[in-house]
Amino acid sequence: MSFAIGLIAVAVFALLAPTLQITARARAWPLGPVTLLAIAALVSHGLGVALGIVALPQFRYWDAASIFAFCVMAYVFAFGAVYKSVSLEILLGLIDRPGRAAPLSEITERQVPGLFQGRIGILVDRGLVERANSGFVATAAGRNLAGRVGRLRYAFGIGHTSLYDFSD
Amino acid sequence: MNMLPGPAQAAAIGLSIALPLLLLCYARITATGGSGRRFRLGCISVVVLYAIACIALPGQRQLDDVLSGLLLLGTAMMFCYVLFSLLAWGFTLTLLTALVQAERPLTPEQWAEAYMQGGDLGTFTHNRLKLLVGAGMVITADGRLAPTAKGVAVAHLAKLVRLSTGLG
Repeated sequence: MSFAIGLIAVAVFALLAPTLQITARARAWPLGPVTLLAIAALVSHGLGVALGIVALPQFRYWDAASIFAFCVMAYVFAFGAVYKSVSLEILLGLIDRPGRAAPLSEITERQVPGLFQGRIGILVDRGLVERANSGFVATAAGRNLAGRVGRLRYAFGIGHTSLYDFSD
Repeated sequence: MNMLPGPAQAAAIGLSIALPLLLLCYARITATGGSGRRFRLGCISVVVLYAIACIALPGQRQLDDVLSGLLLLGTAMMFCYVLFSLLAWGFTLTLLTALVQAERPLTPEQWAEAYMQGGDLGTFTHNRLKLLVGAGMVITADGRLAPTAKGVAVAHLAKLVRLSTGLG
C-alpha cells in the first residue's frame, strides 16, 4: 500500500509541475523551470508522506519514496530531453516546414546560428555573460560557474567540446 | 511510519551514493573509453553489485524491498545521467566555458569559432545531425534533410511531452 501512496504523490506532481510552469510563464515569475520542478517535487512528496502517515498505520517510507523518486526522475529526464535539445530542435524545425524537408545549408546557415544566438541570449539573461563593445564577455558569476564546470569535467574525465563521440 | 530502509533498499542507497564515486574512479582508467562508455560501465557495475548484494545479504529477500531498491538505483542512474550529460554534451554550458577560456571579449563569430575549437558551426551541425541520422530519425539525400517515419513519431512524442509538462 505504501507504493500506492507513492503513486498518488506522483499523480499530484504530474498535475502540479505543468501547472507551475504555465503559471510562471503567464505571470512572469522570476523562477527557472528547474526550480519549479524542484518545488513541485518537494510539495508533492510532502503531501504523499503526510497522506501515508494519516492513512496507513504501517506506512513504509522508502517503498513510497522509491516509486515516487523514480517516476519524478523519469519525468525530469523527459523534460530535460525536450527542453533544450539542439538535435530535437532541428528535428522539430524540419517537421514544421512545408513539405517536411529542408536544404542542409539552411539548417547550417540559418537554424543552428539562430539556436546559437538564442543560447547567447539565455547566458546574458542569467547574468553569466554581458555585452562588451561589439562582443561578449563573461561576468564574475559566469567565470565562477565556468571554473566549477571545468573542475567537474576534469574530475570526471569529460572533454570540453560538447560534441558527441560516435566512436564511444 | 517505518523510516528504516530494508536490506536491499539500503544496498541500493549505498550504491546510488557510490555511482558518482565510481565514475570518478573510471575517469582515471584510460581503458574505460569515452564519457558515454564510462557512464554505461558505471551503471552496469552498480546493477551487478546490487544483484550480488541481493544474493549475499543475510535473511530472506522481500519482493517489495528488492523492487524498491531497483527503483532507487534507477533514480540515481537517471539523476547522474542528467548531470553527466549536461557536463559532457551541454551546448549552453560549453558556450560559457569557451568564452571564459578565450579570456577576452568575443564577437558571436569569434565565439562560435572558440566554441568549436577552430571549427565552425557547420561542424557542430553535422555532429548533431549525425545523431539524428544514426538514430534513423532523419535521412539526407541530394543535400536535403527529411524526417523518417520514426523521426515524425519522435517529434510528435516530443511535442506531446512539451505540452504535458507545461513547456508549450
